[in-house]
Amino acid sequence: MHLAVGWFHFSLPDFQYAFLSIVLEGVPFLLGGAILSGILEEFLPQSLMTRLLPRDPRLAVVTSGLLGVIFPVCECGIVPVVRRLMQKGLPVSCGVTYMLAAPIVNPLVVLSTLAAFRGQAAWEMASLRFLLGLSVAILAGWVANYFSPKSILRSWVGTAEGTPHHHHDESRTILDRFQNTATVATKDFLDVAFYFVLGAAAASLFSTAVNQEIILPLAAHPPLAIASLMGLASVLSVCSTTDAFIAATLTPFPMAAKLAFLVFGPMMDFKLLFLYGAAFSRRFIVFLALGLFLVIGLLCWRISTLNLGW
Amino acid sequence: MMKSSFLSSLRPLRDLLLLSLWGFCILWLSYRGLLGLYLQPSLQPYTLGSGVFLLILAAFSTRRVVINGMGYHQEHHDCCTTHDHCGHGEETVSTHVPYSEHSHDHSSDGFLLSVKTLLLLVPLVMICCGQGTKYSISTIQNRGVVQDLENLPAAKPGNIPSKLPAKPVSDPSAPSTVSLSPTEAMPIQVIDLLYAIQMPSYREEFLGKEVEMVAQFVPLTTGNPKGDRFQAIRLFMTCCAADAKPVGVTVKYHGSLKFSEMGWIRITGVPTFPMEGGHRTAILEARKVEECEAPDEPFVY
Repeated sequence: MHLAVGWFHFSLPDFQYAFLSIVLEGVPFLLGGAILSGILEEFLPQSLMTRLLPRDPRLAVVTSGLLGVIFPVCECGIVPVVRRLMQKGLPVSCGVTYMLAAPIVNPLVVLSTLAAFRGQAAWEMASLRFLLGLSVAILAGWVANYFSPKSILRSWVGTAEGTPHHHHDESRTILDRFQNTATVATKDFLDVAFYFVLGAAAASLFSTAVNQEIILPLAAHPPLAIASLMGLASVLSVCSTTDAFIAATLTPFPMAAKLAFLVFGPMMDFKLLFLYGAAFSRRFIVFLALGLFLVIGLLCWRISTLNLGW
Repeated sequence: MMKSSFLSSLRPLRDLLLLSLWGFCILWLSYRGLLGLYLQPSLQPYTLGSGVFLLILAAFSTRRVVINGMGYHQEHHDCCTTHDHCGHGEETVSTHVPYSEHSHDHSSDGFLLSVKTLLLLVPLVMICCGQGTKYSISTIQNRGVVQDLENLPAAKPGNIPSKLPAKPVSDPSAPSTVSLSPTEAMPIQVIDLLYAIQMPSYREEFLGKEVEMVAQFVPLTTGNPKGDRFQAIRLFMTCCAADAKPVGVTVKYHGSLKFSEMGWIRITGVPTFPMEGGHRTAILEARKVEECEAPDEPFVY
């Protein structure tokens, strides 16, 4: 099947080829994240996170951002985790920071970014993604500190404080614990795979059917390129463990725009807009989305003006 | 409502089937040696490993179905009349609802679950139908043929060979030196000529020598007034076929150019490096062009 209209030339076999290659490339990272999520859920006590936080609110926010390195959770699984942690007493500002940072500072994400950008300034991209993602998440947490939890959270999240925690039965065998790990991993994998397949399809359509010369004028202007790739990241809604493989294929765009894609996407894509609604008020989500778009866009624009040799 | 609950109750079985199918498809692709069509060699073990792990998860899903039966999610819905997941009471393995099931992702609701399931089957159907294993000319034209190494992200100065290879650069098993008879053409890759554009010392090694290369035929529709030119391209893969960029050189040939688009051809000729439009370029003056079989390794890495 072929369809050609001006700059758009769709070929079904080409689309399938690109689509399958993205899916096959992303599956190990998707699955790795899901299995890690299952292991953390089963073998790591949640109370450990709150014990690790310092008492100073600003320091606690910074620590929360870094917790994503130790407690890596991808953006699809982060909302229920953060909601539970906030119900158990984690400050809302820390919850916001952890929620935004964890999908980016996640070691698997760093590794997948390195793998995807192999030959394209991989270390620079991975480290800038880590630093920018962490900084923006900390900034968002500090700002959230100035608002009352009631204005940020959905009402039922706040009132659920003190809800008895779901305890694991200590008499369970190790096989049962692995069973629960596998169950959590399975659910995470299949849930996220759905969004990943959608994202891979959109990316394949973009990379095979659209004449890249048409978007070159956009790619040549850093502000437009950065804004457009942040928009694309939202539309694609790809998991942060695999989005780098899609960003790496957007070769006409400058690296700063790809960086914006990699930082904004895991923080605020279309699927997260809905997921965040499970814990946060609509007003806060809109404020967060606009704020992240502006801050990440401006920072990436500034980075694009630096002579980084990429 | 009942239909929705029924579909939701099938979710453990659906998970088991999806995991099994995905795992088997990946292992099947690997067994048939087809992963190389999609992925860079260094990434193939990861994908193969994920196929194995998917089957392991499928085994655990089987155990879950055997122990819990189909009533697993119904229990969750019954206890989930409000958004307050408190007090599940006694929890044994058979009634244990994992934390992730408490996340209020009620995507298990019938319709959405069906849509998700169908979508997750799409890649598997494509694999089973054997669709999509190469690009057509339209994608090559959409991506544009790279004739300047600066537009090739993975090509860095460190990758540039210091000496002309005696065998194609993508053949790691090739001996470092091969004795060629004076009349035998030197086998090279398209990308060697692009390196030569950048490096004068490398370029000198080509002067007056006959070379032979295998590439894909792409007709040249612009800048070809005499109709005696075409492009010989190879796909340069960084990670997977989705990021593959066509790299190519212009070939000048006075014979017939009735070759199939993207078909594999073997070209024998002498490379030249004239200045065109203010830029140095590579043009292969072909003596012979013939159709040939696709190489074992269709990509350049």
